[in-house]
Amino acid sequence: MKPMKKKVAASDFLLDVHTEPLPARFVAPALEQLKSGASRWLEGKVEHGEISVAGTLRHLILMVKEVSAKGHDMTERFKGPKEQAWRLPDGKFTPAAEGFARKYGLSAEDLRPVEGVLYAEVHSKGEPASVLLQTMAVDLLKSLQFPKSMTWEETGFRFGRPIRAITSLLGEKVVPVELAGVKSGRAAYGHPVLAKAAVILKDPSKHAAVLRQGLVIGDPAERREYLLKALELASKKTGGRTEDDSDLIDETVFMVEHPVPVLGRLRDEHMKLPAALLKMVMKKQLKFFPVVSRDGALLPYFVGVRDGLSSGNDLVREGYQRVLEARFNDAAFFVGRDSSSTLESKLPLLDRVTYQKALGFLSAKAARVESLTIWMGEQLRSTAPIDERSAAAASRLVYADLVTDVVKEFPELQGQMGGVYARKDGLDERVALAIEQFYFPVAAKTPVSVTPEAAVVSLAGKLDSLAGCFAVGLIPTGSADPYALRRQALGVVRILLEKQLPLDLDKALEEAVKLQPVSVAEPGRLAAQLGDFVWARVQSLFEEMGYAVDEVRSIREGALKDLPNAFRRLAAVRAVRREPAFEPLAAAFKRASNILRQAKYENGTAADRALLQDQADFDLYDALVSAEGAANDRIVRGDFEGGLKSLATVKPSLDLFFDKVMVMVEDESLKRQRLALLGKLVRAFRRVADLSEIQTPA
Amino acid sequence: MKTFQELILKLQSFWSAEGCAIVQPYDLEKGAGTFNPATFFGALTSAPARFAYVEPCRRPADGRYGDNPNRLGKYYQFQVILKPAPAGITDLYQKSLKALGLDPKLHDLRWIEDDWESPTLGASGVGWEVWLDGMEITQFTYFQQMGSMPLSPISVEMTYGLERIAMYLQKKDSVYELDYGGGLTYGDLHKQQEREFSRYNFETADTALLSRHFNEWEAEGVRLASLADPLPAYDCVVRISHLFNTLEARGAISVTERAQYITRVRSLARKVMQLYIAKSTPKSVEAA
Repeated sequence: MKPMKKKVAASDFLLDVHTEPLPARFVAPALEQLKSGASRWLEGKVEHGEISVAGTLRHLILMVKEVSAKGHDMTERFKGPKEQAWRLPDGKFTPAAEGFARKYGLSAEDLRPVEGVLYAEVHSKGEPASVLLQTMAVDLLKSLQFPKSMTWEETGFRFGRPIRAITSLLGEKVVPVELAGVKSGRAAYGHPVLAKAAVILKDPSKHAAVLRQGLVIGDPAERREYLLKALELASKKTGGRTEDDSDLIDETVFMVEHPVPVLGRLRDEHMKLPAALLKMVMKKQLKFFPVVSRDGALLPYFVGVRDGLSSGNDLVREGYQRVLEARFNDAAFFVGRDSSSTLESKLPLLDRVTYQKALGFLSAKAARVESLTIWMGEQLRSTAPIDERSAAAASRLVYADLVTDVVKEFPELQGQMGGVYARKDGLDERVALAIEQFYFPVAAKTPVSVTPEAAVVSLAGKLDSLAGCFAVGLIPTGSADPYALRRQALGVVRILLEKQLPLDLDKALEEAVKLQPVSVAEPGRLAAQLGDFVWARVQSLFEEMGYAVDEVRSIREGALKDLPNAFRRLAAVRAVRREPAFEPLAAAFKRASNILRQAKYENGTAADRALLQDQADFDLYDALVSAEGAANDRIVRGDFEGGLKSLATVKPSLDLFFDKVMVMVEDESLKRQRLALLGKLVRAFRRVADLSEIQTPA
Repeated sequence: MKTFQELILKLQSFWSAEGCAIVQPYDLEKGAGTFNPATFFGALTSAPARFAYVEPCRRPADGRYGDNPNRLGKYYQFQVILKPAPAGITDLYQKSLKALGLDPKLHDLRWIEDDWESPTLGASGVGWEVWLDGMEITQFTYFQQMGSMPLSPISVEMTYGLERIAMYLQKKDSVYELDYGGGLTYGDLHKQQEREFSRYNFETADTALLSRHFNEWEAEGVRLASLADPLPAYDCVVRISHLFNTLEARGAISVTERAQYITRVRSLARKVMQLYIAKSTPKSVEAA
């Protein structure tokens, strides 16, 4: 008869921490920590099934399926010192070794030598699951990190918000947990206003259903689904839909336990206010969802999401509308005040707003942005169609909206309100757009400025911020980047690439540094440092687009002189790299580069065919001259892939050259000539890419 | 429909029934109910404290000449302070709303993260704004620090925005239209005051006099603190705090000066607190 493997009993574990309302932003990260923390804690200690979490602003819930009744027997090893140090020559243990062993309840004879080191081994019987889980619950809750924590009772325990109850069950048994003066039990709590009373749970299986009955949808994913459907249903009657705003949706999911939509209306008189402002008031101040038409235009409706049931919805709607109208009246008052004078007339107020201590007031920054805009207009005159007058006119006014009441109230509307007021002032649409889109792109994936004028003004603002901050030593380190310089540098890169502007960034950065009001010891060095900083953003952007690290590195040279071109060069490298002939070509190129480097070759001597000697020299020379010609025709048309392929035709001659002749010969003149020949070759390739950067299989 | 004064009476009787002493407003100008000694000193020591009171508050910079239906340069708070913070306090608060005729079941009651900080008192707390159908009606705070010192036991402070709640209950769009009681509107009692004090705070206040008074009351506070009587010294804290607010509303304080003023108020407040704690702890009194 086969021995039957005895099946160990397993039960589900539930931990539900019931708190006073946690801030919405606290919940998801806390659940994440609970889940990963439980998984780490249980690892190797006890058999268990799936670990899951759920939660709301008032519940942090951990569920572990099928926890074995008993934990694993364990052997823990503690490392002691080296054996020779603890054992006397006669084989006896030192008193220190005895002491070490005693610490673990052992005698010195029990210590185990492994590779010359003594270990104490402690065997322990697996503890009952309830004991393990009790310890785990306390450990996990003590170690949860919140963005901000507080104390509220005499033990001084810190948590995101006060804990009011703990439900903790393993199967049908309560796992006793005591924290912050709260003792766990089997009562489960629904919605604090709407649930009738706490429900006594027999075991974890009914927990979610009990919460649901108490009008709490515990699972955030389910609550989100429910919310999205509710929003859709509520806005359907208007013919529009609620505006997509994933931040507001995320927040709402953790602001209500049972979302109920309430559709409200805006008054016609308020619809005259700028749509961006109306939306901002609704979303930021009241957490309402604006309703928009299919093409994104604001409709005179909003959807507020209340927590609970729909009883009293008319009262709630009335309340929502009254609050909203009061806020809109405030906003209208601000817009009226702001509009009573032109943007131009607000400029003197910028003399009182500090941008940065050493970099002066915003008025000074505005002047620098204007200079830089004009300079860039000149630089790009022959290559990009920019209305330089509009760009310059806009650049003077980009900061004027920072002293308006609306922007003081809603800093997020900077730029947008400037655009609104510029149109009110009767300024050219190109000017208004450039002001409106000055801060574009506002995030990594949001659009860049649309018009070329807007692009240039926006560039000027960002380059000035970069140069200014670097000039006064405010260089981002680690995660600290208070002036958002990384984002601004990425903005520069994206604008140049997406608007196809062949601006020489190296020169532009030098110009921006020159304009700073502080004295810079080595302006050239600072500009180069800025170039490296911008290049780091270029690198990560290209890598994010799927280009390999070495490919990106191969186009570094001259990349900042013309980013759109650099991108075309990169695409060429990627395209050519797929071809079978590429790897050997790159290897040969690398060999040529290495020879030049070892010979400390510097450009100087031009290769002279007449001074060469062997057939292999002449072949390579001729092949190179013809390849360069063909490549040049293509490169000037922007066809870098074709150029690279033309240059690749020298490969057979290059192989033969390496095969037949020595570069580093005794004859100094011949050596110089051969180095010059390789130099010519390397330079030709480098117009597209430095192939020596490309990793080839060894 | 409940009048403004009935609203106050209701809150007083509710919290009186919950064991609070209903104390009176403190007789100095101040920006918040927290400045009432019942709260300021009540939160400091380990002795239990349960107080409720109406407090007139002056916020010079918030005045709008009586033109804005929602903003006032002077208004009333109803403040409750409970120490230690009882478990179930959020439920108790909801009960108080019900007593005002606001059944949380029929409304959208939301708790929005909003931590409180008073730089001049070196005080901070963690809590919420409570929203009723989108309107902020209460500031709910667990004090964590006073005079930059951690507190224990922790007090919970609830500050009801009386005008807001009354506007909701009376369905009025302007604070000035509120039925105050006694046949008067809120406007009858306050509009002239709003107009004249807005002019005073923004236009006519004598800034030289105010800053001189600031210096003098600050010096007096330091002197009184050295005499080991914290309460008269505390009055100096309240006075200079309000002088600072008025100077700021008047536009007489630059950004750099602002930080210095705040530090000066805070350091006097800290002295007073330490003195008060020392005095209310029997042993240290003997030692002193």
